Amino acid sequence: MSNDKIRGFRPSRRKLLAGAAALSAPAIISPFGGVIGTASAEESKKIVVGTWGGDYANLLHKNVETPFLEPKGWEVVQDTASDAPRRAKMVAEKRLPRGTSDVQALSDVNVAEMVAAGVLEKLDYSKLSQGANVLPVLKSDYAVPHIYSGLVLVYNPKLFPTPPASLNDLFDAKNAGKVGVIDIQYIYTIMAAAIVGGGSLTNFEPAKPKLLDLKKQGVKIYPTNEGMAQGLKTEEVGLCVMWKARCVQWQKAGVPVESVAPKEGILAYQSLFSIPKNAPNKQGGYAYLDAILQSQAQIAFANDMGYNPTVTDAPIADDLRKRIGFTDDEQKRLVAPDYTYVTQHDAEWKEWWDKEFKG
Amino acid sequence: MALLLVGPATLFCVLQLVIPAAILFRYSLNRFDPAAYMVEAVTAENYVKFFTDPYYLGVLLRTVRVSLVSTFICFVLGFPLAYWLARMTSRWKNLMVILVVLPLFIGNAVRAAGWMTLFGQKGFVNYTLMGLHLIDQPLTLMYTEMAVVVGIITVNLPYMVLTLQSVIEGISRSIEEAALSLGAAPFQTFRRIVWPLALPGTLAGTILTFILAMNAYATPVLLGGPKFQMMGPLVYDQFSQSNNWPFGAAVSFVLMAATLSLTFLANLGLRGRTAR
Repeated sequence: MSNDKIRGFRPSRRKLLAGAAALSAPAIISPFGGVIGTASAEESKKIVVGTWGGDYANLLHKNVETPFLEPKGWEVVQDTASDAPRRAKMVAEKRLPRGTSDVQALSDVNVAEMVAAGVLEKLDYSKLSQGANVLPVLKSDYAVPHIYSGLVLVYNPKLFPTPPASLNDLFDAKNAGKVGVIDIQYIYTIMAAAIVGGGSLTNFEPAKPKLLDLKKQGVKIYPTNEGMAQGLKTEEVGLCVMWKARCVQWQKAGVPVESVAPKEGILAYQSLFSIPKNAPNKQGGYAYLDAILQSQAQIAFANDMGYNPTVTDAPIADDLRKRIGFTDDEQKRLVAPDYTYVTQHDAEWKEWWDKEFKG
Repeated sequence: MALLLVGPATLFCVLQLVIPAAILFRYSLNRFDPAAYMVEAVTAENYVKFFTDPYYLGVLLRTVRVSLVSTFICFVLGFPLAYWLARMTSRWKNLMVILVVLPLFIGNAVRAAGWMTLFGQKGFVNYTLMGLHLIDQPLTLMYTEMAVVVGIITVNLPYMVLTLQSVIEGISRSIEEAALSLGAAPFQTFRRIVWPLALPGTLAGTILTFILAMNAYATPVLLGGPKFQMMGPLVYDQFSQSNNWPFGAAVSFVLMAATLSLTFLANLGLRGRTAR
């Protein structure tokens, strides 16, 4: 595993801060040029997109594929699955001259893992009409950022009349029985516990006693984000950590929750798109990357999903920015996970989570 | 002629079951690497890991326990119903059989979703009990072993009933009537006549529901929750969440071996019993 390669995708807190600030800068309108999507008739016009299913896939279709790709004659086929089998597929196809997908939706941690596995194409931003407008902080050599948000404390004010302020509130004995965690968000929950326990983003060991204490306090573990939303709505629990964007979606769905940025720091989350090295239609892959960066597509995702745009020319309404974005002070606390550490230790932490925390 | 009759099904099984199982077994001897996922090797370390770790042994024991309990309850609930259906001569019999089959028209996941609305903290059961002032705090019903057992029973009961019904229908009513006319009490008739004759078929129904329970996936995931681990979800988790194909393959073979061994033991026990 090459750490140098991973460094190709490793935005620092300083960079994230700069990027978030750039987001609030005046909009620069960039026309959607015809650089991409001008494949000749003989070339394949089919793009196979590996992506998560559900809302995300539907919104990609509605906000990206239908308005920007189909009019140019591209036929988009979505290969929907969770990221783990798609990653396994990419690694399994590594030796093949032609893979089976042209572009893959991955999380920031996933990208680091796939970069280490050597299956992603190094991107040429000059092939993207929107390449110059990508927030510098989020720019990586191997993936184009699509959307981003940050991990915040989400609480039900009925159970928490005094809003929580710190990640430590999750582990405080006085909140025993009122805290929930999400199984599929195990790595971020472990990071939060590590920070509270005196560890860091490169040392999760102090998370263990904190999480075992939380287990003793009767923490409720929900299998999915949707399960947690139900738990908050029915007041089974009143506090959890979740992406601010997801909190906005829950609020829209009538779940009575508020969010607050923890004082210790806000872990950033990005969803990105990469092109596999052996993608059969790289031109199609670039066309897709360019389409997701279009300002109208980015604004639509901010409206529909509550995630922040990753380009400088996607102006969003002030009230929406207030709900999904971060204040100047909060931006200073945005921090990216250490992708090298996560990539190297994810498997062992997943096993610990399953056996010791859940077991 | 025999080849024509047996050939297509055998070919299908070889292509769809034997070859993939052989490939899976080969995978189970490979090694897991967090970066490369599966590294070619010939090692028993995945099996050693399973059998030396109390956590995984606990998952296996829980799976066997849940399967045995749900199969036993299916049998206790299913036998009287199957007997009643088998001996029914009314014109409503077909309708009754269809009513037994009807739950199979609904997928397991949808059925489990229905149970979730009943078992939730503010679900139908708690709402009713609290409304009747029988409890003042909601009961924890979801994400429990009880919820999983109930869920599996509702999935497997029709299989048990249908198997037992066809077995009992094969036992001539006149044998029972002969026993009764010779002075045997109804329970004695059941114990000495019906039960021994139904035993081989009963074993088939029991094995069928036991195998289904051992391999249950949707019900334990949806009603058991993240903390309740059974073998089926563990296999899925290793393949689809952890990308640990070698260990997932080993867990698959342990599950298969455990199911086959218990089935074989049950058969052996029956053979000993019928030999007496």
